[in-house]
Amino acid sequence: MILFRGRSLKTEARVFTGSMADIIFLLIIFFVITYKVELDKTQVDLPDTTVRVTIPESEKPAWIAIASRREGYLIRVSTGEEMSLPIGTDEELVTFASTEVARNPEKDFIIKADKEVPYERFDAVLDALKQSKVKNIYLLSDQKTVEQ
Amino acid sequence: MKFKKKPLDSEIFTGSMADITFLLIIFFMVTMAFSSNRGIDFALPEDTTTAAEISQEESIDVLVLPGPVDGPPVIQVDGRQMPINELLPYVAEKLKQNPSKPVILRTDPGAVYGNMLAVFDELRQAPDKIGMKIDNISIPTQREIENIWTMLGIGQ
Repeated sequence: MILFRGRSLKTEARVFTGSMADIIFLLIIFFVITYKVELDKTQVDLPDTTVRVTIPESEKPAWIAIASRREGYLIRVSTGEEMSLPIGTDEELVTFASTEVARNPEKDFIIKADKEVPYERFDAVLDALKQSKVKNIYLLSDQKTVEQ
Repeated sequence: MKFKKKPLDSEIFTGSMADITFLLIIFFMVTMAFSSNRGIDFALPEDTTTAAEISQEESIDVLVLPGPVDGPPVIQVDGRQMPINELLPYVAEKLKQNPSKPVILRTDPGAVYGNMLAVFDELRQAPDKIGMKIDNISIPTQREIENIWTMLGIGQ
């Protein structure tokens, strides 16, 4: 008791921040590794399907997006390496697909279409891809749930 | 005169590191794309004339009619309207007679893309639902259908 006379013991209220840097760097490394640039930002309401396969992205598939009614069913295309660009006519779509197939005959195509797109629009895109001798296409979809 | 040597501080200032790293994290979080990368695969015929060679009698003809976008699709199979849950049992019966029988999936131009994909999804579930795989599902385009009609000399 004599030892502590005249002195008061204070508890230090400090938050230990030594490991914060490690955690933050881990998070940064995670984001850097998983970072992927979205080539097409067309807002679509994808149809729901039960069967869904993972699209192989090693070969950088080309993208064709058909927007919703709000955007006038606008078609945008991307080579898989650059940001998507809008196209005006079906002939332009045939030219785009033919060029991509000429560059790589095994090139996959992804169709990202809104579920409310009239079938005629999709039919025109499918016809253009068939004319361009495309071998494989993927129809982008969301997972169908049990309730649906 | 005697000078007192002042020891030099050899320390890297890390006070702003937290700010920089937080900024980087926020940048990556905001710009990260959680895009869907799954869907239904569909192989197109090597030669477009192959699809035209399949005659309607040798195949199962599925016609998708205009229907609700989120509801069950309205279909006509071999000219008969039927609910979507009866499609695969019907196909199974036909495949028992001829396992290589192709299915032609046609869609009314007045229907929407979601209607067609719902029926295509149903057909692709054949291995799970009826234990049989449909080897050939053909989706002819309107131009191909018109070509067939012209070849057969039938006006649509």
